[in-house]
Amino acid sequence: MIWEVFRQEKPGDYHTHCGNVHAPDREMAKQFAVIQHGRRKPTESLWVVPQEEVGEVDADEVAFGGTTDKSYRWAMAYTSSTEHAKEVIASQQEQEQAEADRQRGDD
Amino acid sequence: MAATEIELTPDQRLALETELRTLADDEFVLAERYTEWQVHAPTLESDLALANIAQDELGHARLWYDLLEELGYDETDLLWERDPDTFRHATLSELPFPEGEWADAIVRSYLFDVAEGLRLESLEESAYPAIADRVGKIQREEGYHTEHAENWLERLATDDEGGDHLQAAVDRLFPHALALFVPTEPVPFGAETVSGDGAGSQYTDTDALPDAATVEETIVAEGYRTDSLATLGERWLDRVVPTLESHGLRTPVPADGEITDELVPDACGRNGRHTDDWDTLYADFTHTYRELGREDATMIMDRPE
Repeated sequence: MIWEVFRQEKPGDYHTHCGNVHAPDREMAKQFAVIQHGRRKPTESLWVVPQEEVGEVDADEVAFGGTTDKSYRWAMAYTSSTEHAKEVIASQQEQEQAEADRQRGDD
Repeated sequence: MAATEIELTPDQRLALETELRTLADDEFVLAERYTEWQVHAPTLESDLALANIAQDELGHARLWYDLLEELGYDETDLLWERDPDTFRHATLSELPFPEGEWADAIVRSYLFDVAEGLRLESLEESAYPAIADRVGKIQREEGYHTEHAENWLERLATDDEGGDHLQAAVDRLFPHALALFVPTEPVPFGAETVSGDGAGSQYTDTDALPDAATVEETIVAEGYRTDSLATLGERWLDRVVPTLESHGLRTPVPADGEITDELVPDACGRNGRHTDDWDTLYADFTHTYRELGREDATMIMDRPE
């Protein structure tokens, strides 16, 4: 019998699938999961779930979303260079100059 | 506190070394045997579990051997170039596994881990601080070793075939497990230490050594271990016999619970006498050291504090 193993690293984290173990029952599954997934890594908790209890729907059965190209929504094309914005640079310099003048005036 | 800061009389040192050798050798030799299951255990999961346990036991052996090193030995003295007759592990650790006999690994682990758990409890308050310091770390790992063995025991016992294998393992191993509670014959010191230092020099001569029972009395009287082996042995029987019986397994312990010398094998390990299988195992684990012509042990990590 195969048990899927989910590991939570810190309290509040999601349990994340990390592998599976073969075990005849829940108790042995928990022990094997601890040995394989909890002994050498920081672990807060483990879940073991009989593989056949996992419900699955796959792409053959339903149309999942996320297939239209919406990469324009991800701000990947912005550049941090300000070379093209001369007036922004000029304005920044003006403000810095004004700040410096004011400080001199305080002396 | 470093061991070297404590002044020891020759008798104290002999008692301390004897207890440490017993602890370290049991763990080391058993781990050597466990590793034979690598890639041969019945399932990947059980393979990994036993490999983990073996690794833990090697770590525990290291903790105890370290304390002997503080008394002036080095790793070659304690393992790689040691006279195999001076090993003091109980024969339970050294027996080979009959081909593919997983029930043997489980029964052996069960008998050993319960005994080790009891022994560790009795070291928690050791008068030798370095021993007491190390107990907690070992106990944290031993708990799941026992649980692992018990889980398997329970499951193998559920059908007749499993039960037969378990019974054969109990018949074979139980006498060698009783050896765990036999007082350890001391090993002369000075002779094999690199810097055989002064205090113990009187015990380089085997004839002058006190006997095992006397050394055992010193171990308890000095508080290195707070319970006698006799007490630990009774506690062990009180725990393992009812458990084995609850799984339909018979032990060689008579109804009155009286353990006589006849039940313990003549070569029990603690007395320096071993089975022929020990020579083979010793030759195996020192093979690479000899083949490479080594003169000292290679350390890949700094010694743990």
